[in-house]
Amino acid sequence: MSAERLMVVEDEEHLAEVIADNLELEGYTVEVVVDGVKALERIREAPPALVLLDVMLPGMDGFTICDTLRREGRDVPILFLTARSSQDDRVHGLELGGDDFLGKPFDLRELMLRVRAILKRASWSQTPSSAGELLVLGPARVDFKRYVALLEGREVQLSQKETLILRCLAEKTGEVVSRTEILDRVWGYNAFPTERTIDNFIVRLRRLLEPDPQAPRYIHTVRGTGYRLTP
Amino acid sequence: MDPARRKLYSYIAVVAVYVLVFGWWVFFFVHQSDFLLARIARRDVTLPREAEEALRQATDESMRMFVFEGAFLGLMLLASMFLVVRSLQREVAVHRQQKNFLSAVTHELKSPLASAKLYLESLSLGRAEGEKRERYLRNAHADLERLQEMVEQLLESARMSSTGPPVHVERLDLQGELARIVDELGKDPATDTVEVSLAPGPALDVEADPAALRTMLRNLLTNAIKYAGPSPRVEVSLQSEGAQALVRVRDFGPGLKALDTRRIFEPFVRGGDELVRTRKGVGLGLYMVSELARAQRGTARAIGSVEGGGFAVEFTLPLARERRASHAQDGSGK
Repeated sequence: MSAERLMVVEDEEHLAEVIADNLELEGYTVEVVVDGVKALERIREAPPALVLLDVMLPGMDGFTICDTLRREGRDVPILFLTARSSQDDRVHGLELGGDDFLGKPFDLRELMLRVRAILKRASWSQTPSSAGELLVLGPARVDFKRYVALLEGREVQLSQKETLILRCLAEKTGEVVSRTEILDRVWGYNAFPTERTIDNFIVRLRRLLEPDPQAPRYIHTVRGTGYRLTP
Repeated sequence: MDPARRKLYSYIAVVAVYVLVFGWWVFFFVHQSDFLLARIARRDVTLPREAEEALRQATDESMRMFVFEGAFLGLMLLASMFLVVRSLQREVAVHRQQKNFLSAVTHELKSPLASAKLYLESLSLGRAEGEKRERYLRNAHADLERLQEMVEQLLESARMSSTGPPVHVERLDLQGELARIVDELGKDPATDTVEVSLAPGPALDVEADPAALRTMLRNLLTNAIKYAGPSPRVEVSLQSEGAQALVRVRDFGPGLKALDTRRIFEPFVRGGDELVRTRKGVGLGLYMVSELARAQRGTARAIGSVEGGGFAVEFTLPLARERRASHAQDGSGK
């Protein structure tokens, strides 16, 4: 097993201990941080392969940490572990760019599965796309490697999730890609009790890339199933 | 905006419109005779002076009657509207309380549950041996105790809000009782990290419940552990105030500035943002202190920052009867 470095950000001492111990048993190296502000600093200094992030934290809450990291263009995978497990909290956490969301209390084995799944997806997102590195949609170009869209000479930064959704569609150009498949590849299906989040991402992408977002030319909705990309 | 608050604001808007319309009616009635005469004048009719005067008086009389009756009805309406606003305000407060409750209780109940579950799961999967196994068992046990304490506190507060706390008042030498409780809490693992000093005070007999008194002090000491810095120090002092004994429990921490010192006695109210939590607890400690004080016919109040820094809670307890009688005779309390 790899010795990937994971970070557990959790202020409950016992919980942090038992999670860290179990991850170490799986062969990961684990760093425990108990304070939100310190966690943000540490992630900036030395980004781990995955952050297991509590939401309610002293110093700075987990949502703010995730949002800050994504705004800075850092795509370190984040798994939210929190007692706040309402649908709204889930959707909020994932829209901020979280990779998965696990409500406390959770099963040990489920936690391990999710960790493994996120790390696997992270490695998919780092391998070169079978669709090439550049997606051309009319006048717009999307650079999968740098997470940017080039629109009439200006560069717009895309989030990691936005880029991966486009990549997922581009790898099957002309075919219908179901929401389930997108969720599975970009986030991991189990993270989602709802598919609402993905629709919100598509709305944002259309606003950015479509000449008329109301009548999309490139990213089509296939009613009841998913989406299809036609460059 | 939450629905309760929206309801309150829309109702206040309706009341404001009503007050404006009501004001216009009053104005119209008061100047009714002027309006009548102006209307007559517009028809090019000139009334004799006496007729004008008589008309003015007659209109004013009947208008006065209308205004008085109208004003009475208006006041009744305003009073009922005021009552509705009050109850809507209460609804807003309840809503806020429920939100605080959910946020705080969710975290406080689920965290120890989550760690106890993981400890036990690790043990049953054989992932901890030897010393680690012992530690896991110990920690899981501690988690369950924390959970138990939380559940008991929640049930206790639910009982308090429905029937009031059960107290059994007896006659107590307050100074002696406080000394005994302070000594006892010094040995309680939940409060033994606080350095407590009991200031010398007058000998006062009060009518109070020793168990309630112990709970009150215990809650105040655990608060000091949470809020009064790394090595918390608490001073308990006692004096008489009228027919009451006044107990003051102060810490030497940073005090409490941001929060309304009355609101902190509401259940599930805690300082700071619930998302950026620094302290354990759900916000029931001070609520229980004030309820217990009330059940013993006393009151509780908080002082955000006392002289020389620190947060203090003062509560009163009624002096025992004879003491009150002699107190009235010699006229000096302290």
